[in-house]
Amino acid sequence: MTVPSWLVKVLILALLAGAGRIIAPLTVQRVIDSGLATHTVGPAITVGAAAVLVAGVSSMLLNRGLQERAETTVAGLRRAGLRRVHEMAASRADRTPAADLVSRLTSDLDQMTTFLQGGGIQLVTSTAQLLIAGVIMSVYSWQLALPVLLIAGLLLAGMYLMQRLIGRRFARARQDLSGLQRVVAESVAGAAVIRSTGTQDRMRAKLDTAVDRARDSLIRTLPPLHGNASSGEIAIATMTVTVLLGGVWWALAGDGAPRLTSGQVVAMVFLVTFFVRPLQFLVQSLGEAQNALAGWRRAKQLVETPSAEVTDGVALPPGPVAVRVEQASARYGDGPPVLHQVTVTIEAGEHVAIVGRTGSGKSTFAKLLTRRLDPSSGTILLSGVPLDRLAPTAGRVVILPQDPFLFEGTVSGNVHRGDLSRTGDEVLRVFDDLGLRDWLHALPDGPDTEVGLRGERLSAGERQLVGLARTALADPDLVIFDEATSGIDPATDVAVQAALATLTRGRTTIAIAHRMITAENADRVLVFDAGRIVQSGPHHVLAGQEGPYRKLVEAWNRS
Amino acid sequence: MKRGPTLLALLRGARAHPGPASVATVTGLLNGATMVAGAAAVGWATDHVVIPALSGERVPPGDWWLSTLFVLGVSAVRWSTIFVRGVATGRVQYRAQADTRRAVAHRYLELDLPWFRHRSPGRLLAHAISDVDAQWSPMQFAFFACGMVFMLLLALTELFLRDVSLGLAGLALVVSVFTLTAVYQRLLTPRAREMQEARGLVAAVAHESIEAGPVVRSLGLIDAEDARFTANVQRLKRADMRMAAVSSVFDPLLELLPTATVLLVLAVSAPRVASGELSVGDLVGVIYLLITVSIPLNVISRFLSMLPMSGAGLERVRSVLDSTEVTAYGTADLPGDGPLRVATSTGLTLEPGTVTVVVGRVGSGKTTLLELAGGQRVPAGRTVCFDGVDVRYLARGVVAANVAVVSQDPFLFAESIRANLELSGHPSAEARDTAEVEEAAGRRPYDEGEIWGALELAAADEVVRELPGGLDTVVGERGATLSGGQRQRLCIARALLRRPRLLLLDDATSALDSRVEREVLGRIRDSGRTVLMTTNRPAAVAIADRVVLVEAGRIAATGSHEELMEIDEYRRLITAYEHGQEAAGDDRTQLAR
Repeated sequence: MTVPSWLVKVLILALLAGAGRIIAPLTVQRVIDSGLATHTVGPAITVGAAAVLVAGVSSMLLNRGLQERAETTVAGLRRAGLRRVHEMAASRADRTPAADLVSRLTSDLDQMTTFLQGGGIQLVTSTAQLLIAGVIMSVYSWQLALPVLLIAGLLLAGMYLMQRLIGRRFARARQDLSGLQRVVAESVAGAAVIRSTGTQDRMRAKLDTAVDRARDSLIRTLPPLHGNASSGEIAIATMTVTVLLGGVWWALAGDGAPRLTSGQVVAMVFLVTFFVRPLQFLVQSLGEAQNALAGWRRAKQLVETPSAEVTDGVALPPGPVAVRVEQASARYGDGPPVLHQVTVTIEAGEHVAIVGRTGSGKSTFAKLLTRRLDPSSGTILLSGVPLDRLAPTAGRVVILPQDPFLFEGTVSGNVHRGDLSRTGDEVLRVFDDLGLRDWLHALPDGPDTEVGLRGERLSAGERQLVGLARTALADPDLVIFDEATSGIDPATDVAVQAALATLTRGRTTIAIAHRMITAENADRVLVFDAGRIVQSGPHHVLAGQEGPYRKLVEAWNRS
Repeated sequence: MKRGPTLLALLRGARAHPGPASVATVTGLLNGATMVAGAAAVGWATDHVVIPALSGERVPPGDWWLSTLFVLGVSAVRWSTIFVRGVATGRVQYRAQADTRRAVAHRYLELDLPWFRHRSPGRLLAHAISDVDAQWSPMQFAFFACGMVFMLLLALTELFLRDVSLGLAGLALVVSVFTLTAVYQRLLTPRAREMQEARGLVAAVAHESIEAGPVVRSLGLIDAEDARFTANVQRLKRADMRMAAVSSVFDPLLELLPTATVLLVLAVSAPRVASGELSVGDLVGVIYLLITVSIPLNVISRFLSMLPMSGAGLERVRSVLDSTEVTAYGTADLPGDGPLRVATSTGLTLEPGTVTVVVGRVGSGKTTLLELAGGQRVPAGRTVCFDGVDVRYLARGVVAANVAVVSQDPFLFAESIRANLELSGHPSAEARDTAEVEEAAGRRPYDEGEIWGALELAAADEVVRELPGGLDTVVGERGATLSGGQRQRLCIARALLRRPRLLLLDDATSALDSRVEREVLGRIRDSGRTVLMTTNRPAAVAIADRVVLVEAGRIAATGSHEELMEIDEYRRLITAYEHGQEAAGDDRTQLAR
């Protein structure tokens, strides 16, 4: 195994930086030991000054180099992480809370930056300093170094144990803080409900509990944290007394001349501080280092999540898409099966409507086709290619959900994302094609109207209109509408649906319907019930037969 | 933000918690004194024990004991003050933090809804969490720094007493450290702000992109998202490196300055020790002091360095606490408990116990009208009267006790279904006995019968029975573990449980099967309440006593369904699907050909 050159550079710089920091007590020792003779002072100080210079310059270089390296890696991890979020199995992405993924790309990695800027580099130089001071002490007088190292060992063990307790209490505090965040977020997201129900007092009590709990668990971290900080002082005092008095005692214990000079004893006292301070620093910043590393690992974990994209997969053949579903079953996690061995063929260019009661498996079926959910058994083929061997179908197979996601930005900007290769004029033409011109120009700033975060400045129906326009611009070969017009008034709905019918002529469409008109307009209706397809055929045929579809039609007609 | 107001705010925070604050101050000062005393102890031991002993003189045993006691005694005071100061400081910091957090969170409950519209939830969350953290973060060093200032003064005095030139060297060290710190801060502050901003942008883009996951996959936007994210990531990297460029120079500089001073003092003092002007013990004490001084200097610098960030946090927290967009209330009550009569200045009147349905195209202003007539949001220049009383004169809580709303986006709290339905108990009935008062903050709690009754009315009883924990099932954030239709039904049940005198339904049945929708609306109609609802389903007008047609933000017509059928726009809306059927029929025949 070869050591990378940057690591060699880091080690050398760290040793230089640590060594430079220990020259001071050595110089003091030399000068005092020489009885402060003028001829020794000059060279000693020159050496000391040079050492300080070396320490300073190597620290600066080390700082720069390590941070540059870390930041480059952090930026790479962020990019790779976001990409992986979009490439991992959709079912996995759906299961993981967005906040968790976001924190892996942001605050978890920010911890590394904070750590490096707030003493992480010092951790490296401290370690070097600690090692060098230990070696010098032993060379000076191993007899004095021995008790010092012994006390250091005890200190280290004690602080390590305490650090674990601190870690546990901080973990608890972090948990309570994230609980607090959830409650505050809820009070903001639910602002309208809280006001309309006049339940501010209830929310206030809930907030108070969360605030108090976070405060109390933070306060519980204090005794071990500061116990640790103060224990270093006890160790330093014990070491100082040991070196000062023990040193004198030992120096005089033998026969004849003292075995140590006063300068050596004093220098040893200095060395003790130069030994213990980094030790203390080391133990205290171990917690932060652990945090930074934990954050790093969380980001790394995300990047290493397997991608669900099929490399060297078969491209979807051009033209309208045929769908073949064979014996497909599906379930969510370990839950009960929600689709039971569904088999169906949808011809290329066919317009199909899916109807059924809430919970009959309609949306699950749509999820299978768009790979948001993998079947627990059975196969699904698009234009003859099994889904798990299919290269990415982005832009060719598109689903439009009931609540389409809008990006913060303008209405036209959102539609443009349907196909970024189109021009602004083409984007505007889509609105015209869908008969949405009047609606668009009635908006405060027309196509340039800001939609706000997640499109919240628009009503639910308006968000659906933008989603429809975006899908129309994408011009997919297979499009699935999942109750995509539920918030749109009938007149606009009919106009838009008619326009869509023209736009999607020759394309395959699957529409999950809650209105009869959608079913009537389709070439074929699939009726779902309890996870199975129970009827299949054109509206006029099914409506004439005994069966669940007829009941649905009756309900529609009566309503 | 100037340092003055920030320091003042910190001081106020400390004074709000006088107990721990005074403990921290006293131990902080004591600790500062022990650092000077520690240097003196080592110097004394060197002069009285180490040097005489090693140069062959006899050292009386008393001096051995005294030096041991001196060093250990000072140290005992030092470590115990470190501990006590740390704990007391933390108490002040975390308590002050909690007070501010509470104030911000409580403020959110009072502010007007339009205030929220202009601010992203992420930003509001940051005000309550990270901005409050930032505001109080210097507190952790405040008492330490106080003690260290005291220690610096003591140390400098001692240096001057020993020798003026040594004192001057010490003073030079202190002055140069503070000058360096000031320059450092000046360079760091804008860079830190830039970094914070860049972090915010990276987080916002990451959050949006991840939430947009399905769209990104579906439309193949991965490269576009990567490009958008990369631009921000690179910006953050540059900001981080600009911080690093400054800190990598100044941190070692500040750290090594005391060492350089020690060397300087040695060079200057060596001849004077040789000539007997200074004792070796004096010099050792001074050098020890100079090395120790690096700690207080470090602490004071860190304290000062946190002030700009704290000031920025304080400013943002103040922007919430000082905002005046709170709802004003009057003192009037609404007597009686029958259905309300509503009259608005826009010409809409709801007779008690009638059902009024608002129809109109997407974006025509249906929700705005609903919110106005329901007294939820009354813009300036408009008035709404409930039973003849102007809504603006009503006392706090009166509207909420009499009106129930089900909005387009059904919201549930991340609590049990039962808690979501009950909330604070019955809004207008007082508690019957003291046990109940404690349970529901003075309001009468509901009994099982009432809860299941409301669930049945909203066709949500099946939903609840099928859940693993029934009424005690805890739902996810915003009710995420339930489907849109289930959430809608539970929200309707919550509204009905409150027995409102006016019920507002904002397209609240859009995710229900038409059969279920018809049943629910029928039962609501039979309940005899005043109901105002918007809908996109033509069938819903069947239950309406009166229909209101809105166009481009105004009421275009009001009347019965039959009357409005005379109006083109209304007829077009209501019969759209019937016409659509014919059109589609033509379409299909064309295709067949």
